[in-house]
Amino acid sequence: MNWLNDNVNLLTLIGAAAIVILTVVIVGKYIKQMKTDKSTGELSGNKWDGIEEYKNPLPMGWSLAFIGVIVWGLWYWLAGYPLGTFSQLGQYNEEVSNYTKRFESKWANPDKDTLMGMGEGVFLVKCAPCHGITGDGMNGKARDLTTWGTEDHIVDVVLKGSSGQGYPLGQMPAGMLDKASATAVAAYIVQDLAKTGKSKHPELVEQGKALYATCGACHGNDGKGNGGSAPALADYGKAQFIVDVLNHGKKGSIGNMLKFNDGRLTDIQKTAVGTYVNSLNKE
Amino acid sequence: MFHWLEKNPFFFAVGVFVVIAYAGIVTVVPDFMESARPLKGVKPYTTLQLAGRQIYIENDCNACHSQLIRPFKSETDRYGKYSLSGEYAYDRPFLWGSRRIGPDLHRVGNYRTTDWNENHMLDPESVVPGSIMPKYGFMFDKSMDFDTAYAEAYTVKKVFNVPYDKPGMPKLGTYEEAKKAAIKEAGAIVADMKDQAVKDAYKKGDIKEIVAIIAYLNSLK
Repeated sequence: MNWLNDNVNLLTLIGAAAIVILTVVIVGKYIKQMKTDKSTGELSGNKWDGIEEYKNPLPMGWSLAFIGVIVWGLWYWLAGYPLGTFSQLGQYNEEVSNYTKRFESKWANPDKDTLMGMGEGVFLVKCAPCHGITGDGMNGKARDLTTWGTEDHIVDVVLKGSSGQGYPLGQMPAGMLDKASATAVAAYIVQDLAKTGKSKHPELVEQGKALYATCGACHGNDGKGNGGSAPALADYGKAQFIVDVLNHGKKGSIGNMLKFNDGRLTDIQKTAVGTYVNSLNKE
Repeated sequence: MFHWLEKNPFFFAVGVFVVIAYAGIVTVVPDFMESARPLKGVKPYTTLQLAGRQIYIENDCNACHSQLIRPFKSETDRYGKYSLSGEYAYDRPFLWGSRRIGPDLHRVGNYRTTDWNENHMLDPESVVPGSIMPKYGFMFDKSMDFDTAYAEAYTVKKVFNVPYDKPGMPKLGTYEEAKKAAIKEAGAIVADMKDQAVKDAYKKGDIKEIVAIIAYLNSLK
């Protein structure tokens, strides 16, 4: 009989047999008692419609348990979990602050791999619904982030303008420069101002530097954005620039990007997103 | 006293109820009276948003989407701040929902935009790969029902004293005024949309359902 080798089957059978045996023995005992037993003991003297009652003192164990529960109840109300002190939101706040503390101490000095992993995770949840899982903007439904941080993108922005970030100096109109000048400015920004790499057109850098005066009026000649009055172009192509976009939101010709500055993302997470988005550009 | 109660089962039942319900009465009722009041900053819906809400109800969106964010870190990380009961003061009926086949929508206006909603309602899979939400393309053809929305706003104003036309609250006014305001509000949304047919219809004074539902979704914050 193979199924007896299974422990659970065996236990179940033993249990079933024990139940049957106990039932038979106990029921038999009471049936016998009902046939033969006579009631004995001291009566209390109370009578209700001919029904009388024995004097049965409360067992010691029950009395102790009863008193014990009263004592425990007082402790519970007054000291253990005092009345009116529980708060669901308080518990939530505690959970969040503990989590934040753990998070901040764990990721105080994240390395590049950590930032990339964290950035990808946040990107997939918060950014991918509009920018797509690969960041390609899903056929023009949002900014194609795989070209972000390149010279071509700077040219694109100069030609189309930029709006909706809510900087004090307002929006950038389209067509501040023509395409050739924009290409030169882009070369200057990438190679000299932001120093994110070698330009594709190194011969245009000097020309771009001269043309940058048009941009410098708002973005500052040092590219630092005039103390927060306009985006800091010196950060272009770096994680910090993305952090600024997350904090400011955008509203352009493609659509509206909301701000992410309401505490949904911590500063570390924003930097991580910036690092990840920056890596999407394969140039 | 006890003898009298024993002979009057009705009053006995009342007494038993009071004794048993006492803890509930003293803790629940005062808290409920306080938390059921509208929170500061909560405003009644405009007629365009109400029309969108009626479309939301008509299409049983609440069968798959909840509007209730519980105070857990996992939920607030994804959906935003936890919900408070005072936020539903002008929801008649509330649309908490009981199932989350899709995500919670109580603060969807914070993280989705008009153009995203437009793409998503037309073809959910175009922005959310693998989404099982049906397409709601018919909302781009069907005209919204302004009259019912105005009737609802007017009714709750008269019957439940919802504070329309009060300082700092949305203006309702007469039918003509409300219609004008709704057309103006719809214009801002249509300007953010891409669908040419919806834009053309708007120019002729015809507001499509999609505009109203986006107005409602954007108002959920």
